[in-house]
Amino acid sequence: MSGLLDPRDAEKILSTALKNGGDFADIFIEKKKGTGITCEADKIERVFSGLDVGAGIRVIYDGRTAYAFTNDVTFEGLMKVAEEISKVIQGNNVSIILNMQQKEPPYSFEIKEAPDKVSVDEKVGIVDRANKAARSYDNRIKQVIVGYGDAVQEITVANSEGTYINGERIRTRLIVNVVASDGKHIQTGFESAGGFSGFELFKTVSPVELARKAAARAVLMLEAKPAPAGQMTVVMAGEAGGTMIHEACGHGLEADLVQKKLSVYAGKMGEKVAAETVTVIDDATIPNLYGSFPFDDEGMEGQKTVLIENGVLKSYMYDWLTASREKRKSTGNGRRESYQYKPIPRMTNTYIAPGKYDPQEIIEQTDKGLYVKKMGGGQVNTTTGDFVFEVSEGYLIEKGKVTVPVRGATLTGNGPQVLQTIDMVGNDLGWAIGTCGKDGQGVPVGDAQPTIRIPKLVVGGILE
Amino acid sequence: MDESKYTEIAGELIQKAQKSGAEQSEVYLTASEELTIEVRDQEVETMKKANEFGVGLRVIKDQKIGFAFTSEVKPVSLENLVREAVANSDKTSVDKYNIIPEPSEDYPSVDIFDPELEYIPIERKIELAKEIERHGKAYDKRVKITESCTYQDSKYVIVVVNSQGIETAYKGTFAGGYSYFVAEENGDQQTGFGLQFSTKIDDLNPKDIGIEGAQKAVSMLGAKNIKSQKASIVLDPYVMTNFFSVIAPALTADSVQKDKSIFKGRVGQKVASDLVTIVDDGRMSGGIFSAPFDGEGVATSETVLIKDGILQGFLYNTYTAAKDGVKSTGNSVRLSSYRGTPEVGTTNFYLKGGQHSRDKLVSEVKKGLYVTEVMGMHTANPISGDFSIGVAGIWIENGEFSHPVRGAVIAGNILELLSGIDFVADDLRFFAGKGAPTVRVSEITISGD
Repeated sequence: MSGLLDPRDAEKILSTALKNGGDFADIFIEKKKGTGITCEADKIERVFSGLDVGAGIRVIYDGRTAYAFTNDVTFEGLMKVAEEISKVIQGNNVSIILNMQQKEPPYSFEIKEAPDKVSVDEKVGIVDRANKAARSYDNRIKQVIVGYGDAVQEITVANSEGTYINGERIRTRLIVNVVASDGKHIQTGFESAGGFSGFELFKTVSPVELARKAAARAVLMLEAKPAPAGQMTVVMAGEAGGTMIHEACGHGLEADLVQKKLSVYAGKMGEKVAAETVTVIDDATIPNLYGSFPFDDEGMEGQKTVLIENGVLKSYMYDWLTASREKRKSTGNGRRESYQYKPIPRMTNTYIAPGKYDPQEIIEQTDKGLYVKKMGGGQVNTTTGDFVFEVSEGYLIEKGKVTVPVRGATLTGNGPQVLQTIDMVGNDLGWAIGTCGKDGQGVPVGDAQPTIRIPKLVVGGILE
Repeated sequence: MDESKYTEIAGELIQKAQKSGAEQSEVYLTASEELTIEVRDQEVETMKKANEFGVGLRVIKDQKIGFAFTSEVKPVSLENLVREAVANSDKTSVDKYNIIPEPSEDYPSVDIFDPELEYIPIERKIELAKEIERHGKAYDKRVKITESCTYQDSKYVIVVVNSQGIETAYKGTFAGGYSYFVAEENGDQQTGFGLQFSTKIDDLNPKDIGIEGAQKAVSMLGAKNIKSQKASIVLDPYVMTNFFSVIAPALTADSVQKDKSIFKGRVGQKVASDLVTIVDDGRMSGGIFSAPFDGEGVATSETVLIKDGILQGFLYNTYTAAKDGVKSTGNSVRLSSYRGTPEVGTTNFYLKGGQHSRDKLVSEVKKGLYVTEVMGMHTANPISGDFSIGVAGIWIENGEFSHPVRGAVIAGNILELLSGIDFVADDLRFFAGKGAPTVRVSEITISGD
């Protein structure tokens, strides 16, 4: 793969950035081409294509970061930025000898149909099919929004340690949002699918099925009664997605937050931080998942990192800067939304490893509680570990059986406490995709969990 | 940043688009310079400089609309931009309301550019960030950790040129500061933040920003869970502006026309308590989002959306206005800058302040929660208006603050919340483009243990 920047030019640019001193420098160049299609009100409203080209240059000196980005990626443009950034550093003259060695990717994901080789008509066809399927599902469906998006992102990363990599990330996704109303209530149903994948995504994901699922949820929730309020046992289905593990645990294991002592998991390495049944893994190497990649945004190979093993804290997630502070290697979690941002430690695909229970058995052993079939979005305060997330499809559990649907429930609790109390872990595993936001940067992630049971959690609902 | 050069580039693109078969075309071009300084423990931790440029092109052909964008100015990229925008238009649905606007009769003059900003040395800006931290740390010994104290500023140019005679540009600036602190006591850690934004750097008060973050963190120390109950809630100005993410989308004509608004068909009806007046003002003096024209080059305006609880109307861009046969309110917003099409959105959006003080508001509460922090507001549903969000704050007992509370959830519907407002204080405050005073809601379910 040819890069976006000649290795010899990269050496000159980084030498310039470091001419007034500095411990490390890198350059990230990106060329991203994408297509977006949205359908709403039964119309193809928008078809757009975009080209985003830019580069970010970073110098780290005494643990501090100077960062600059530009859309002018000509050699002269980049040298100008390198000059500008070198002025921020008032250190001693150090001469770093740069010798770029190109690294080959440790693995690659097969892309069968690159989205830029697929006609817009075919993409519109996917959107049309999803729209029609959702609209014809029920006469209470009032609005359907379908969004298709693809992106081909070429990157080149070079750093002052001699790393030089070229990468290509191809991602495709489809979202369906359905609004249903019975004249009295309005409810919505949302489904999404996506991956490090080309157009072949739709060989495994049926747009029609996805749309029907979203429509079914919106209609079902019209008939649901308001969720109860207070503390109760919660069983989360594998197919619910891993929002909870992502929010309640994952963020607190990102090394930047840990080092600033902004995480409840700071200083707990080797300690028991979860129930023995709980093993948590972050894995960028799983083929074609939404959060997967061969190289991270600092040119580090993607990895599988066991974060918590049988309840014991084993590792945090590191990028270059946080790893260097502990004189260790990055875990390949240095990610950024685009050239406009400095890399920070981020999750890739994060999940709780499957356990031993049949999911059905977990429900049967629960006398009374809330069954979460689909989770929505969430948020965590990593310092306190307090989290909240929404339940987009929930039911009551009564005498070991899943009974009536409930709407509007929110789960809130404390991440570390919840992990300590998980008492049953199922043998299934369900993935969901998302865009994770941190420090104003959004990156694609995957998250998953088996069916799990939490004996006590606060459910936000309505008091009768 | 040279406006005339950008206007020239935009003009050439319009000519190319018209030659390539577009019946109407529009270029939205933006260039900006941004600076961010993050300080921790009186050292600059991150300094970021950004130069951004990009152009979005919208074309209409046979009543169908196409869009493309690029951040690369190379001739070949600009050729591709035109070709793709025209090609994309072929794939969208025919809609007779697809139009590119003509120039407005008159444009407001707004004071949003601080000519001093670029001449202020970077050392002074670093000092400002450090000052924020010093004031926060000095506020209370228990303020132990700085997550970050930040100074940020931006200078930008926005150019809109179209085939219908609009050829216009403006320059703007803003500067802001944040503080994020962690307070510690007896093994308990709590966080707090403060922020300020203004079009002028001289308006920033580092002391206020620092103390606000520190004070919030300290006040939450020792927070406990509470029992589930029905009680009053008091929303501080920042928390109230958070609810705008549910209210504002429902006040756009786009949501109404697409059956996604709880306000549809209710103009002239009572949709909120008498105390509620909500305004969007795109030409407000000192407003961060004030501008002479919107994302399509249409003059901005002041729009009263809800007056004394009665729904007055909605926000419009050119498309939605054409569809309803009304005039655009100048609320076409480029949410994704040059990367996106103009949608209907807010400018400076606020809930008008009331007559009496916050102290009076609190003194009248028998039992309730003064909410200073919300979590998961993005999970609230702007279509149904339903929300169920995590809250933290200070418990009020017999008109006095008693103890901090965490881990509670409030749930309800935004219409109920707006109707349940029984006090609006006089302390209207803006957080960038959103403003609100402290408000009180008579009763709501608070879920706890």
